[in-house]
Amino acid sequence: MTAGVITDRRFVTGVGYFIYIAVLSAGYYYNLTFVQLGMIDLGTRLVGMSRSDVSMVMAGMAVSALVVAVVTGVVMDRRGWSSELRTKFRLLFAVIALQTALTVLAPLVATPAQFVVWVMVCSITIGAGIPVTFSLMIDFIPIRHRGHVAAAVAGLAFFAAALYPLEWRIEEFAVVMVWAMVPAVAVLGLVSFRRFAFVDQLARQYQRFGVGRFCRPVPIRTASFTFWALVAVMFAVFFIDSLGFLRIVDTAAYISTSWQSPDVGTRLFIGVSHLVGAVMAGVLYMSLGRRWLMFAVLGLFAFTHLLYTSHLVTAPGGIDPPLVLPLFYVLAVSFYTTLNFALWPDLSTPANIGTHTALGVGIAGWLASFLSTALALYSHGAGWSLLTHLRYVNALALLLAVSLPVALYLRRWKTLVVVGDPR
Amino acid sequence: MNLATIPLLIVALLLLSSTHPEVDSVELVLTGPHQVDDQTGALIIGSAEVTVPADGRLSGPIYVIGGELVVEGAIDLDVTQLAGTVTIAPGAVIAGELHHIGGTQVVSDTATIGRQTTLVWVPADEGPIAGYLPMVALVLLLALVGSRLTRKRSAALGNVADAIAHHPVVTVTVGALLTLTFIAVFVFMAFTLILIPVAVIGGIIGLVTVAYGVIGWGHLLGRRLSHLSQSRATALGVTAFFVLVELVSWIPLVGDLAVIGALGAGLGAVVLTYYGATRFKPEALPD
Repeated sequence: MTAGVITDRRFVTGVGYFIYIAVLSAGYYYNLTFVQLGMIDLGTRLVGMSRSDVSMVMAGMAVSALVVAVVTGVVMDRRGWSSELRTKFRLLFAVIALQTALTVLAPLVATPAQFVVWVMVCSITIGAGIPVTFSLMIDFIPIRHRGHVAAAVAGLAFFAAALYPLEWRIEEFAVVMVWAMVPAVAVLGLVSFRRFAFVDQLARQYQRFGVGRFCRPVPIRTASFTFWALVAVMFAVFFIDSLGFLRIVDTAAYISTSWQSPDVGTRLFIGVSHLVGAVMAGVLYMSLGRRWLMFAVLGLFAFTHLLYTSHLVTAPGGIDPPLVLPLFYVLAVSFYTTLNFALWPDLSTPANIGTHTALGVGIAGWLASFLSTALALYSHGAGWSLLTHLRYVNALALLLAVSLPVALYLRRWKTLVVVGDPR
Repeated sequence: MNLATIPLLIVALLLLSSTHPEVDSVELVLTGPHQVDDQTGALIIGSAEVTVPADGRLSGPIYVIGGELVVEGAIDLDVTQLAGTVTIAPGAVIAGELHHIGGTQVVSDTATIGRQTTLVWVPADEGPIAGYLPMVALVLLLALVGSRLTRKRSAALGNVADAIAHHPVVTVTVGALLTLTFIAVFVFMAFTLILIPVAVIGGIIGLVTVAYGVIGWGHLLGRRLSHLSQSRATALGVTAFFVLVELVSWIPLVGDLAVIGALGAGLGAVVLTYYGATRFKPEALPD
């Protein structure tokens, strides 16, 4: 595509691709590493809180991020900011500047009270960042290429996260992150507060790219069944991910085959698998209908969970799991992440993209994580063994993995063969 | 895990379900050295080195599909060796049957074996023609089926061929994903023992689908032979596909990947067209 852009002398559109991929992959990398892993290290090691207390604070952060995201998204839509690129740049500038300050301060957090305040301010930046960054899709990326671009974002973020060679410690994170964020803040400040011709040109692109793939010819309303059904399916995917994997992957035996493995070869395998999985997801996103996409993601996720829990139940202690387990996990994660980047903008128009991305990412991503974390804590508090906990998750995973794709395929087959629909 | 052991693993699970239906659990040891002194369910040894010590007693059957098994203690049921190395040390006891199908076996004269059997393979005359006989038979079979399908369901084959020709990236992607997922699903099902028949049926359906994809390729190649009838052209196309696969597979690595990609494209095309019932039309995307 970039070659085509250059040939057509549409350099500005190419710049838009670059900005989108850079912003979203860096943002997602920040979320994957600094927030998800660094925050646990900060709370448990530096502040000295228990793992369950940190989980509760993170659950609070998830709810707070959701509320802030929805408020920001609704305000953006009502004031017309969703289709004003310069305003979004200014909001993004504020978000990243605040996150840079939080990153600098992170190693200085020493008490639980400071930690809670730090996390809550962090949740505001994350919440505001969701509709701002996800809605950039309508300014920069034509519908025809959204799957590929979403794949590039997911693949790059995960590839970098898997190959990150340092220890997962907040101090080292903070240094690396600040070095990466300061130039981004400077550039964003420049394009936000000075006029550039190419920014004006980019700001007009939403008129062509703005109406999403699933909103043509009829826009999907926020209150529609379609929108909430997709939110529910993505919620289920994230819910299974958090409910099962966060507890499983915490198990020592699985760290050796995760992206926290000390073995570079394993991390390289995972990183490359992420890239391949994202490319596959991008190709399928551009070719298949949304129902098949959803069920593919759900089925892959449920089956992966089944693999992990079965290995946990049957494998003798101390034996490393085969690499087929992380391979499927990586494929599943790459699939749903790619889908998550492209889906919500494609379900939106410039008039409602702020609300839709906030609700989609906020509920499917953040609320699912919050609920599953709370449920996991409840099961732990109620004295459920890991096996009992996983048995419930397994039942859910099996049910979804088998029934949904089969039902969908049979329904289509019936239409084609029994009813004789030639389409 | 060595991928070459997957077929042997499936064979071992089939043998287990047919000869020891009373066994309700199975453990697979894939890599590394292990000392096993107590085991009630079945044990399958992949590429690992397993030792049963002199004071060890295993009451479940053992299947060796790779790696090494050294028995110094006692085994109450059968030991079946499909590959790898089995060493029965002096004083070891195997109350059941020591069944040797493949691999290297060293048995001490002072070991106690309930019954010892060896399956003797009589090698076929591996001349240059005999070596290709199975392949030739497969080509003939698929060419024949392809020819017949073209006469009966030309439109269906056309849909598969069109999907391969016009949407190679999507068909390869779908084919690769399905292959990876379903191999894992069927192996996983086989481990439950109860679902072995489902896994076998699924595997057969998978192979038939791949064969259908190959015929789709044949139909596609046959379109270039406009002077022949459609059915003959498909048969010739299937043959040409196999010849091309054979030639390309001589190129190291790239050749194998190309062959896997071609088979994946066929599989993906068959699934995306609902076995040829409809044309595959990707989602229409605006510019």
